[in-house]
Amino acid sequence: MSVREATPYVPKPVSTRFLRSELMLIFGRRRNWAGMAALAAIPIIIAVVMKLWPGGGGGPDFFNQIANNGLFVSLAALTAELPLFLPLAVAAIAGDSVAGEANTGTLRYLLAVPVDRTRLLAVKYLGVVIFAFAAVALVAATGMLIGLLLFGGGDVLLLSGSMVGFGEGVLRVLGVVLYLGVCLSALGAIGVFVSTLTEQPIGATIAIMVLTVLSFILDQIEQLDWLQPYLLTHHWMDYGEFLRDPVDLGALVPGLLVAAAYTGVFLAGAWARFAGKDVSS
Amino acid sequence: MSLFTSRPALRWLVPSAVAVAVIGGGAALGTVAASAEPELPDRSAAQLLVDLQNASLDGLSGTVRTTSDLGLPSLPAGAGAGGAGIGSLLSGSHQVRVWYAGEDKQRVALIGTVGESDIIRNGKDVWTWDSKTQTATHRELGDGEAAKPERQLPGSLTPQEAAEQALKAVDPTTVVEVGRNARVAGRSAYELVLKPKDTASLIGSVKVAVDATEHVPLRVLVYGKGADEPAFRAEFTQVDFSRPDDAQFTFTPPPGTTVTEEATPSAEERAQAEADAKEHAAQAKSESKVVGTGWTTVVVIKQPAKQPSAEKPEDGRGRGGQDPADIVSALPQVSGDWGSGRLLKGKLFSAVVADDGRIAFGAVAPEKLYEALRG
Repeated sequence: MSVREATPYVPKPVSTRFLRSELMLIFGRRRNWAGMAALAAIPIIIAVVMKLWPGGGGGPDFFNQIANNGLFVSLAALTAELPLFLPLAVAAIAGDSVAGEANTGTLRYLLAVPVDRTRLLAVKYLGVVIFAFAAVALVAATGMLIGLLLFGGGDVLLLSGSMVGFGEGVLRVLGVVLYLGVCLSALGAIGVFVSTLTEQPIGATIAIMVLTVLSFILDQIEQLDWLQPYLLTHHWMDYGEFLRDPVDLGALVPGLLVAAAYTGVFLAGAWARFAGKDVSS
Repeated sequence: MSLFTSRPALRWLVPSAVAVAVIGGGAALGTVAASAEPELPDRSAAQLLVDLQNASLDGLSGTVRTTSDLGLPSLPAGAGAGGAGIGSLLSGSHQVRVWYAGEDKQRVALIGTVGESDIIRNGKDVWTWDSKTQTATHRELGDGEAAKPERQLPGSLTPQEAAEQALKAVDPTTVVEVGRNARVAGRSAYELVLKPKDTASLIGSVKVAVDATEHVPLRVLVYGKGADEPAFRAEFTQVDFSRPDDAQFTFTPPPGTTVTEEATPSAEERAQAEADAKEHAAQAKSESKVVGTGWTTVVVIKQPAKQPSAEKPEDGRGRGGQDPADIVSALPQVSGDWGSGRLLKGKLFSAVVADDGRIAFGAVAPEKLYEALRG
């Protein structure tokens, strides 16, 4: 007869308290509200302008479609914000993550509670990732709401010239949001690394933006075409794949691999720097 | 962990190791894929040529990547940002998706960043679609035409068509060899190497990778003379030999689309058009001449006397529309005892537009063109 051993006491898997407090910091600050309001303003501006002065064809990507279907306000706004606004928002949050605490002198108190530095870093990065997804979702959702309000919904025209129902259209926009969330999370990993290097959050934010813009510039130089597939921003526009018929998810793999590579290298770098860092402020 | 505590600097080994693993892993995968030579039963060049001709394809879908580095000077051509125009294929790198289910069911989609240009053939209907302008054209093929494969397709850039073109050139002027076996799009393939015997040609060699089981070309590489890197490559990055779903070939113009209906020529009209074309060809023949044979053929065309530019269509310089004269005048000027003109020199071919209206082109160095113009 076998004796069932008493199950040993399992401590609460992982306490979410630390993460919750981090999220309160990110989503509770008034300056971050202002930033998110700015992100949400773009789709509203786009929709109102397109309603008041309906233009002819042309214009940036997806603009000519808005009048037919409000869903395209989401895509137009995402496309418009991808080069600057979204990376800037992520850079601000990621740059603030460690350097901000160091700057206000709260980092040493944070480390005074028995929290492993690795865990602190993990929570900080998780907060940045959640913000990145939330920022993209905010732009898409605002665009969808204002678009439906002003232009109505209906079947969605894909790039391949076929139509899908509105529900599937929303799912495809959700796919775009998830893909861009992953892309911006990779930028967030670079941001957390830079943030461990300095005590000046604004300096970290600027450095992250410099890297982003540099990546965009290198992506434009024809002679560097051998380098371009490895640039962080090169595959960001690949989200257009979700608007084809049929969707070939294989086309998204290079973008996801590049994002994973950057995330791995820079998170490891952030760990190496932060775990061995003298925290004096 | 204790080691990392006593010697914090050692922590940097971790990100370095990750970076090395990522870069090294990526590079190793690339090298292994490039150098892997699959074991295949021997096949002679002639057998492979026959295989290619006898290949019967039930269906195919896949992604083709084309890369051109023709060494052409940058011309003031209207390249739309992120555009997916068919004309943009001439330079840079492009992705094309193809679906094929027999002669009368084909679809080619040129993939832009957030755009797409499609050409869809389904039975007698031929549609083109452009997502940027949201325009479609429709043409119904006449009875006589329907039997012929649609030549309008930009198919000369798919490996199939490009290989057909290359193999047409196989005659006494060409050395045909079997190269190293290759792996393309995860499939084993034989490689045919075609080399011009005439060393005056700018083309060094053409390599065609032929699928070992399906006998269709998977990759075409065109090398300039003495070049290690191909000036043009078209290859499947992914291919599936199952017959694509019929739904892939149906196109219904979405509401709000401008559809241009192109008239279907009736039988008489077609006969008339053919007669016209023959007459035109005869006329052109008297005005053009062919110098040399095979790989070093030079064609000299005599343009009809220049029309006053008043005939230029009004929107000739509208969006995307480029005045050819502008492009020509951007080319470097050349002159010699044959006259003078403008030279377009690429890695695989060169062309001369002479001031007297003659145009000479061929896969040869400019000197050969001058010779032809002189003669």
